[in-house]
Amino acid sequence: MATLARGRTSFGDQPLLELVCCTASMHSGLLLEDCPQPVARERLGELAATLPELFGTLDPSCLDRISEGLGDHAKGQTFAEIVLLSDQYLHVIQPLRARPGVALLAVSPCGVSVGLVLSEFHARVAALEDK
Amino acid sequence: MNTSSVESRRVFSSIPCDPSLLSGVLRLLAWLDELPKGATGVLKFGAEGVILLEARRICWAMTRQMRFRLTDILRHQSTPPLPREAIEEIYRRCQQTGKPIGEALVAGGLVSEQGLRAALLKHIGEALAQLAKLSLTPDSFVNHTRSGYDPRFAFSACELLAMYGALDDPARAAAAQLELAGNVVPGSVGAAFVRSSSASGAQVIAADRGCDLAVHDLNALCNWAAGLFDVARTFDPEVRAARANWGNNGALVTWRTKDVGYIGVCSSRAAAACLFSNIVEPGARASGVVRAAPRSGDGAP
Repeated sequence: MATLARGRTSFGDQPLLELVCCTASMHSGLLLEDCPQPVARERLGELAATLPELFGTLDPSCLDRISEGLGDHAKGQTFAEIVLLSDQYLHVIQPLRARPGVALLAVSPCGVSVGLVLSEFHARVAALEDK
Repeated sequence: MNTSSVESRRVFSSIPCDPSLLSGVLRLLAWLDELPKGATGVLKFGAEGVILLEARRICWAMTRQMRFRLTDILRHQSTPPLPREAIEEIYRRCQQTGKPIGEALVAGGLVSEQGLRAALLKHIGEALAQLAKLSLTPDSFVNHTRSGYDPRFAFSACELLAMYGALDDPARAAAAQLELAGNVVPGSVGAAFVRSSSASGAQVIAADRGCDLAVHDLNALCNWAAGLFDVARTFDPEVRAARANWGNNGALVTWRTKDVGYIGVCSSRAAAACLFSNIVEPGARASGVVRAAPRSGDGAP
């Protein structure tokens, strides 16, 4: 499946990177693909269900005003990426520019570098955006 | 109870801890947000009171019904009280030179910088509380071209909001202020909030000195962060930190410890990465590796 991937990648002496990704609707909060891993599917499904809340409750004019103070005058700003960290997992959400209303979600167990997880995640986003 | 909480109670005890006061103050501070960022001058409330601003930061406020003068507050916030004669001598000199008395007291070694900030915050807090209680709205803003207040002794609207929010638990607010000071990095400003039983949504209880966001934007971000931790419970109850990027540079970092939530608004991705790294446990700071190690309680802010 094009947008669903379960990657295990070894980078030198770094621990194995395990990253499960799936696309989801930001409006309905539903996964748009099947996920063969039951545990990850459940976790990503629950993460997907929060998308309408995470992306729909902050008035965009609030971010516009703060951005303006930073010299960025674009209007209608919204979050472009959200990373959530617990002691066990790293979750990442990124709305896809090429598919409005759709976001790529990912979950990875903690224990590897946050930067490494994000690099791999961004590579998956880029691959989806290029299609 | 630690020393800072004792000091906080003493400093703020004359301002009522009243939920309706907070909404009145919010209304008042919203007027300041409407002014241009560099606004310097006097916001007048008829004959009832004034707020002096420099670069939209509050330097002074006064009403007709003030219970305490700044010098009274300064005298009695130390034990034993400062000698009246010493203060009056500096006051006389300030009248001749035009120098603000507070700054002269610090320069003369009678009051510490921190002590003067606390006294000024109390004085301004009392004035704004009175204006809010009277439901007054400003009738004019008179621009000043002359500036001269020391920026160390001027306060953002966010700091004032936090001061009122801290009234019901000064010790918790003091701890939150320390947490902010220990984590906020250059290129970011921070605030702390709790879930209030009296106010709807998040209640700001601490803000760092650089935090000059509009108060309704600060409240909106704190509410969003509080909501994030709420909904995160559905997929991972242990989520303790998050980072959200927007636009070309902006980023919000939020974290929680026990029942207090924190936000850091960052002006660059680099500042956000640095702040995010700071709030991960110390072992991860050098390596960037996040390991399973409990740090926070599971209470939601």
